Amino acid sequence: MKKQLSRRAFLRASSDAARGSCLVLTMPMILTACRRAEEAVINEEEFLNLSEEEVTEYAAIAARIIPTDETPGATEAGVIYFIDQVLGHGREQERLILQEGLRELQAATALKPSASYFHELDELQQDHLLLEFEDTEFFGTIRYLTIAGMFSSPEYRGNRDNIGFDLLGFEDRHAWASPYGYYDADYVDKGE
Amino acid sequence: MAEAGTFSSREPVDFVIIGSGAAGGVMAKELSTAGHSVVLLEQGPYLQAGDFKHDEWGYKHNGDLVWGRRQGHPQSFRKTENDEAIEREVCLGYAHNVGGSSVHFSGNFWRFRPIDFNEASVLGPISGTTFVDWPISYDELEPYYTKVDWEVGVSGLQGPWDPPRSRDYPCPPMPVKSSGVILERAGRQLGYNPYPAPVAILSQSHNGRPACIHCGFCNGFGCEVNAKSSSMATMIPLALASGNCELRTSATVSRINTDESGRANEVVYWDARGDEQAQRANAVVLCANGAETPRLLLLSESELFPDGLANTSGMVGRNLMFNGWSSAEGLFDEPINGHKSIPTTRVIHDFYSMDPSLGFYGGGGIDSRHPSDGLPMGSALSSGMFGGPRWGSEYKKLLREEFTRTVAFHGHTTSLPQATNTVTLDPNLQDKWGRPALRTTYTDHPDDISTMLFFQDRSVELLDAAGATKINRIPIGEQDGNVHILGTCRMGNDPDNSVIDRFNRSHDVPNLFMCDGSSLVTGGRGQPTMTIMALAFRAADYIIGAARRNEI
Repeated sequence: MKKQLSRRAFLRASSDAARGSCLVLTMPMILTACRRAEEAVINEEEFLNLSEEEVTEYAAIAARIIPTDETPGATEAGVIYFIDQVLGHGREQERLILQEGLRELQAATALKPSASYFHELDELQQDHLLLEFEDTEFFGTIRYLTIAGMFSSPEYRGNRDNIGFDLLGFEDRHAWASPYGYYDADYVDKGE
Repeated sequence: MAEAGTFSSREPVDFVIIGSGAAGGVMAKELSTAGHSVVLLEQGPYLQAGDFKHDEWGYKHNGDLVWGRRQGHPQSFRKTENDEAIEREVCLGYAHNVGGSSVHFSGNFWRFRPIDFNEASVLGPISGTTFVDWPISYDELEPYYTKVDWEVGVSGLQGPWDPPRSRDYPCPPMPVKSSGVILERAGRQLGYNPYPAPVAILSQSHNGRPACIHCGFCNGFGCEVNAKSSSMATMIPLALASGNCELRTSATVSRINTDESGRANEVVYWDARGDEQAQRANAVVLCANGAETPRLLLLSESELFPDGLANTSGMVGRNLMFNGWSSAEGLFDEPINGHKSIPTTRVIHDFYSMDPSLGFYGGGGIDSRHPSDGLPMGSALSSGMFGGPRWGSEYKKLLREEFTRTVAFHGHTTSLPQATNTVTLDPNLQDKWGRPALRTTYTDHPDDISTMLFFQDRSVELLDAAGATKINRIPIGEQDGNVHILGTCRMGNDPDNSVIDRFNRSHDVPNLFMCDGSSLVTGGRGQPTMTIMALAFRAADYIIGAARRNEI
């Protein structure tokens, strides 16, 4: 029988991940982002739709799709909160795809020693397992939602502190003036 | 919600206009400012500049403007009439709001050229198609293109291949972007004639509206400063200010009724509360787009019109055209930053008409853009486009490079009319109002695919000439949906094989006019909105004259 995960355990795990990622970082911006991510989970924001098990497992998968490395990833951006929110908006089909896929992923997890949940595997094991699922509708859906949560407007509870936008080099401004890039600056310089 | 003038639904107004998009907005402004009483019905809300946001998730993925299954408007698709139609989130995409898709489109505004109107007689018939000449010429439409230029607002510069124009553009071209410079330099190197893309976006203030501030959120978004020349920003305010036009939003039309003599006399709709209403009218102008216009005619069947209103030809809903599209993407050494400013600033039209010796029909234009419209989420979804990983740390490293240093050369191309490509009523699927859903049946003509491949080859050559370090071809497949919804109530002189006459009047119902993308006889080269607006100005001109002569 699978053990139940408490919200507190999830929050602590996320918070540890965020803090851990900060240890190897030096950029103040990223430190701020990580601190905010930690605050977000410490604030115990409510999950609206997902079960605790879904939250923990999907968050672990999202963290492999956009990992926390030299820069913040899906965890710090609060991607799981985005997924939780949008799955409640007429996306029953996607929710089912995720639930069925998760069961299959966990069945494959159970074949490994000492783990019954995906999030209990180490990162290398997680990546190997996800590679096996890469071409499934399940992986396509969780990848889509992870990217959506990372790079959509923060009003949907992901992309905290514009972590996703910063990763891309995108600044959400309302006005730009030329030159916009290297080539149009060069064009003007050369009087073309 | 009522705006400006208010009219009793039981007293006939001069005109009920159904749909407030590119054509309906023009029609409402022209007819109301000419002194006619107009009730304008729009199924969506009246969103204005202050309502729009940089919200990629909402607009591009949640259907906030382009409603789909989630909003209670599922559609279905099948390749041929022998296939089972499969339910889809969206197949034919159009915005549901005042101004219609002129609010959220890219703003690309190419005129059709003289050859677009008589190409069938120049090239001869093409087997398996309903490829015919238009009943009007470019010269007949030119004054109305110029009216669009000046009344709606277009920025551009007359190019080497452009058709003759009676007046210059009102606004100079938009400032060139890096993506435009890359296309222009490569095009010149290969002996082509790149030139500034004409756009319905203001490069300087015009008609009391401000110039673009280059925020980059054009394609799929509503303009937050009214610099995009949508009918919402340009025509609707004038219609409402006339005091003769009542705009009723959240008004979903269910049918057009006729009297015993077969004249349209009433439009039935659900109001915002869901209560059924009926507005009497002396004449009806249907501007609901190439999907909704045929659906409404088919829904309006009666004893007098058993195959649908205005459909004795059997052509209502047939000859659906999409426009072909192909693309190749390239990676460059320096920042391009395609997310800043408007989608495209340069275009190559050297292949507008292709050499018949190639063995297939086609033509089009190539423009340069950000591969994902400059959108963060769209770009991240396609990152790894040059064969890199699609997730994980290595993928993450590609994100910035591919967001800021890529460009796509898009081919916008012809789509041949075929009677078997249709919009019909799905007998097995309904929308939230209980109306049969839109069912699309569509198979590309082989020449359309050949044309897309030809244009993609040119895009790859151009990227190579431009010095792209990596190039990716977007796979060309059969189209199963589009935002260009054209030809489904085609214009023609012969009532046996067309739905409307040369002035957009129904062949069957003398006081019923259809004007929108459905009117097009051929689909042009991929940018139909300007022609839709020009046709609306022309039809309105005719309608006003006919009303004056008591000929409606």
